[in-house]
Amino acid sequence: MALWYLTRATGATALVLLTLSVALGVVNVERFASPRFPRFVVDGWHRTVSLLVCVLLAVHVVTTVVDGYAPIRIADVVIPFVSTYRPLWLGLGALALDLLVALIVTSLLRERIGVRAWRAVHWAAYACWPLAFLHGLGTGSDIRAGWVTWVALGCAAVVLGAVAVRLADRAIARQRRIGAVAALVAVVLGVAVWLPSGPLAKGWAEKAGTPASLLGGKHTTTARRTTP
Amino acid sequence: MTDRLLAGLHGRGPITLDRHRAIHGPLPDAGPDLIATVEAAGLRGRGGGGFPAAVKLAAVAEARRRPVVVVNGTEGEPMSAKDRALMRHTPHLVLDGAISAARAVGARDVLVAAPPDSAAVLAGALSERGELGSRHTPRITLTASAVGYVAGEETAVLAHLEGRPPLPRVTPPRPAQSGFRGRPTLVQNVETLAHLGLIARHGAAWFREAGTAARPGTMLVTVSGAVRAPGVHEVPVGTSLPEVLDRAGGATEPPTAFLVGGYFGAWVRPDAVGLALDDAVLRAHGAAVGAGVVVALGASSCPVAETARLATYLAAESAGQCGPCFNGLPAIAAVVERFATARTVRGDGERLTRWIDMVKRRGACAHPDGFARMLETATRVFRDDFEEHARTGRCARCHADPVLLLPRPARAAATA
Repeated sequence: MALWYLTRATGATALVLLTLSVALGVVNVERFASPRFPRFVVDGWHRTVSLLVCVLLAVHVVTTVVDGYAPIRIADVVIPFVSTYRPLWLGLGALALDLLVALIVTSLLRERIGVRAWRAVHWAAYACWPLAFLHGLGTGSDIRAGWVTWVALGCAAVVLGAVAVRLADRAIARQRRIGAVAALVAVVLGVAVWLPSGPLAKGWAEKAGTPASLLGGKHTTTARRTTP
Repeated sequence: MTDRLLAGLHGRGPITLDRHRAIHGPLPDAGPDLIATVEAAGLRGRGGGGFPAAVKLAAVAEARRRPVVVVNGTEGEPMSAKDRALMRHTPHLVLDGAISAARAVGARDVLVAAPPDSAAVLAGALSERGELGSRHTPRITLTASAVGYVAGEETAVLAHLEGRPPLPRVTPPRPAQSGFRGRPTLVQNVETLAHLGLIARHGAAWFREAGTAARPGTMLVTVSGAVRAPGVHEVPVGTSLPEVLDRAGGATEPPTAFLVGGYFGAWVRPDAVGLALDDAVLRAHGAAVGAGVVVALGASSCPVAETARLATYLAAESAGQCGPCFNGLPAIAAVVERFATARTVRGDGERLTRWIDMVKRRGACAHPDGFARMLETATRVFRDDFEEHARTGRCARCHADPVLLLPRPARAAATA
């Protein structure tokens, strides 16, 4: 029981920190700095927060697998879309985790692999966050609790703001900027349309692909936990 | 007297080959057996790192490809003059060491990186010899060394010799595995090789007659600051700091602190008990023998102004390859400068400590670590002075002539 709560808590916290990491990454690459907050401090925070995300995700993953409630195997955690429990939504989390591992490993080995290879991989950060976000919406047991929704929307706002700042950079080619904005608008509209009828609506657990054995008569989170 | 390297020096130009042979005798060719002798002698690198010479020799000798020997006479440390002194005054001893090292590891090529004037003296010494390049003696090539504080770091020296900018790279692979153009390379400091030239003649037991059991032999120290006879002196490893000062003619005024090792080294209090040029002793003060630099800061100099200038210089000497070093060191130097001029903002004291901690081990080379060590010991030893400056700003001593020499930053010199 405690493990399942820990899974949910570390998942939500990891999303908040991942958001902070993305924002700090943009602050860093855009060279926003002041005498009291110089670039190497921004860089240090970006690094520390990102590594903290990894620690939280380690707990998130281990508790998910160890906890007997949802039938999630270790393979489900790293290989996308193979789980019996909400395969699509858990798969997005697995994808996000794989990307994050790639981001962290290449960053730790940046001096070895060269800045160009590192930068090429690091663009994946902009894919990692949305995947993690959708995974959170799709598998999250807590999304219908009002304040969690607000935290998630707040994170989305921060990342959208950061991406907007990044796209406003003169170094980004015009065509690429137009493409990115179009993709961004499509994703935001898609999520906005899907959210009320999806995770925020009743019966999501069933729709999302939760095995029938786990579903009780009621669909509130606490009630679900009490069903055997 | 303990003059070994400096034996027979007369101060009138370099020692000729004939005189060199009269002082030190002929150079025997022990071949690879020299490595075991060096191990028994316990010789450690004298460029600053203090790495056991025999370990490097053995690693290079075991490599599959034919190795290269690099004589590192770059001496980027502004307060050190020992390598230049050796090359200018006793060039044949340096060449003997290089040749012995090449024979020990089986190298046919020796590359020397030295400042132009020292290289010119070595060239003169080479022309005296003439028989080089035969089966038992390696080819020796002289190259003008690069300028800059980090240019003497061994991988930066290799980059310079390969014709690239003199920037350090990440290790491993160490030069012993993959160095000059990918070949196994023995990079040794000039003084280390000079010792090798003597160990090849006199053996391990003789070498151990001076120094301590853990750190045997003699070492060259460059003493400067508030002393009557600043310059290069030879002392046994483990000599006490007061004795070192005596060798340099004694203090001209009461010292307030010593900078030991080099600009990457540590500030120590003069009243610390039992201070000696021995890593085992200095470790307790966060210091190390390093490149054998001892600067006596006199009571008439301002430690805060000296530290602030030094921090700014070292920040400008970053190779600019690693973010924490390139961005962090100038930001930290700016905080130190704020202390020196009473322009501190709230939290600067705690900020300084925290930021120094954030640059440690974050570079491809040890430049940020050396910077951090120097500043950490400065803020500890000069705590009262820093606090006073934070309140009242520049003091009367701030306008005294600088003790620490700060060459023009390499990058500025290159573009001029």
